[in-house]
Amino acid sequence: MIEVITMFLFNIVVYNIALLYGTCGEIVVEKSGSLNLGVEGTMAIGAILGYLAGCGTDNFWVAVLVSFVSSAIVGSFFALMTVKFQANQNVTGLALTTFGVAFFFFIGNGLGKNWPALKDHPDFMKGFDAVEIPGLSKIPVIGKALFSHNILIYLGIIIAVVLWFYFEKTRVGLRLRAIGENPAAADALGVDIKRYKYLHIMLGSGIMGIGGLYMGMNLGGAFEGSNCWINGYGWIAVALVIFSNWSTAHAIVGAFLFGFFNTLGVYRGPLASIFPNALGGLKLIPSHFFSALPFIITLLVLIIDSIRTDVRSNEPESIGRNYYREDR
Amino acid sequence: MNKVHLVRRTNVSFGRKCIAYTGGLLVALFIGGILLAVLGINPIDYYRDMMTIGLIGNKFAYKSIEGFFKILVPLLLTSIALTLSFKMRFWNIGGEGQFIVGSIMAAIVAHKCTGLPTQVVVLLMCITAMLVSGAMGLGIAALKVRHGTNETLVTLMTNYIALYLIKFLGETQGSWNFFLRTDSERPVFAKFPETAWMGGIKIGNFTLLYSVIITVLIAVGIFIYLKYTKQGYEISVVGDSPDTARYAGMKVKKIVLRTMFISAALIGLSGAFAASAAQTVSSSLSNNVGWTGIIVAWLGQLSVPWVILISFLISVLQYGSQAASTVYSSIDTNFADLLQSLILFQMLIVNFFLTFKIVRSKEVVENNVVTVASEISDKAAPVENSNPTSVDENENPLKEA
Repeated sequence: MIEVITMFLFNIVVYNIALLYGTCGEIVVEKSGSLNLGVEGTMAIGAILGYLAGCGTDNFWVAVLVSFVSSAIVGSFFALMTVKFQANQNVTGLALTTFGVAFFFFIGNGLGKNWPALKDHPDFMKGFDAVEIPGLSKIPVIGKALFSHNILIYLGIIIAVVLWFYFEKTRVGLRLRAIGENPAAADALGVDIKRYKYLHIMLGSGIMGIGGLYMGMNLGGAFEGSNCWINGYGWIAVALVIFSNWSTAHAIVGAFLFGFFNTLGVYRGPLASIFPNALGGLKLIPSHFFSALPFIITLLVLIIDSIRTDVRSNEPESIGRNYYREDR
Repeated sequence: MNKVHLVRRTNVSFGRKCIAYTGGLLVALFIGGILLAVLGINPIDYYRDMMTIGLIGNKFAYKSIEGFFKILVPLLLTSIALTLSFKMRFWNIGGEGQFIVGSIMAAIVAHKCTGLPTQVVVLLMCITAMLVSGAMGLGIAALKVRHGTNETLVTLMTNYIALYLIKFLGETQGSWNFFLRTDSERPVFAKFPETAWMGGIKIGNFTLLYSVIITVLIAVGIFIYLKYTKQGYEISVVGDSPDTARYAGMKVKKIVLRTMFISAALIGLSGAFAASAAQTVSSSLSNNVGWTGIIVAWLGQLSVPWVILISFLISVLQYGSQAASTVYSSIDTNFADLLQSLILFQMLIVNFFLTFKIVRSKEVVENNVVTVASEISDKAAPVENSNPTSVDENENPLKEA
């Protein structure tokens, strides 16, 4: 019984940390005033290129670096299109998603039988092994669930915390928020808007890429012809940005809350049989409902936020609109 | 300070546009060709097989054309519908959800109204799909006009809620679930009763479905609606500047609600068409038209004739890649997605160079004066803007490396 609860908590973390990467990345991008709907595609490209680089060099950190850099390049392309070429952000982002996922399948199908298996690259695989935090991992129930994970999980939490500090406590972070809120005012203050936007769109996209790599590694690096590794997580991340009100600290809570519902969909059978009285009803709820729940919750948050005027949303004011100096 | 500077172009000739877009298309095909060559496939052979959609040397060519229309109809209808809302700057990216809801509604009617004659059932399917999808669009539009809810994100969420709804219907067996086959162990969507099949005109072996004809009529209708009616004019004014529209005495809220209803209803209709033509419903029925439609509408620059042309071309890409995948095993239909996003990127870049001109910074002061002067002369007498064009030719546009 304890086993099931531990595994339940463990899987909430393991299967949903990629959401945190995607969300944190998207928050960085959106803080600069850009709505990048290409999260799914950016993650897919980072995932496959990082994975292949990891297999090629048999080195875990090369994989992480390549996934970050390749996704950052994808981000720089988004920035080029929207900041320099003034292309519509929605359309560019959607096309990026189409492109990224198609690119994923293109490479995967193109390699076909030559697709490298993770088990043939032991050193690469070793980087993904669980690292137990001394002391904490010995706590019953939650020790195994929370403090015995692979390095990318800790890294994800660290990134979220560091970003929170960056936005809230540093001068550069403040300037970035100013750009997102009111680019014209920031421009008048002498902030180099273009450089800020480029750098942050690239940084955010790079973070998404590591999340993509994580998803691939977590699935054992197996390529299946019809399923993309990212499998809609990029879109949940877009939703989660809204739910966490553009705060990476809230995103940690949000990712695990969304993850809780996700995992509940999978574990509702075992949980219902262990606690037939309290949770027996879980079995009656279809798993699809749990999959849809993140989107339903976000939809409600969106609607309630817009109806209530007393709650201030942290949504960057200029989001989705390109800044062209002459248009003022 | 920046070394270069952007200036809006005033007018671009049609010929120049054509050259620019063709060039963009060729660049996209070239990049795709390089990717093909990397996989060891001859790009020219592949493109030839793709563009001819498997018609050449095929005894069952009529089957190919029927299959092609099954891709074209939902895409064209959805793109046209999205054009309506995009023209109003209403970012309805929920085409996928509205399509799925439409197809579910059509399926309900198909399975439940079995006693009626064929064409009546199909008509009922279409009307139900339109009303329910339209109501969905209306609700989202109402939130937008009353509370300023972000429609991009709301419609995005509805896509996934609808997707999981249809997956739920397709994967859950139970006595209540009339969508599924009763004789199958595994959950499979049942074929519609024959009364719900889309009829058509027989031409030899080939059947031209009524949905194709109606879609073409709707496309023409929307073209006229946007170009020659008062309501169509209102849509573009609201899109350009809601304040102007309000100042001119237009009821902006009413226009947004009405347009969004029509847009979503048409997408629902395309869901019903697709379901009736496929004679069943499934979670993959939409074939991503909600997403592809956005790309098509944008490539067509929100102009109906172009949207019709582009959706035809994109359907060739999609159907062609299906046909070609039988020959080239390492490439599946995703290559069409890859290619169409490459084309869109090229077009977005081309658009930039058609709207803006990059000039050296030291010319900026001079240029600003010219732009202002041309704006004034534009307002005073639009005919007399020979001045800026003559300056255009003297300038030396500098492209950034």
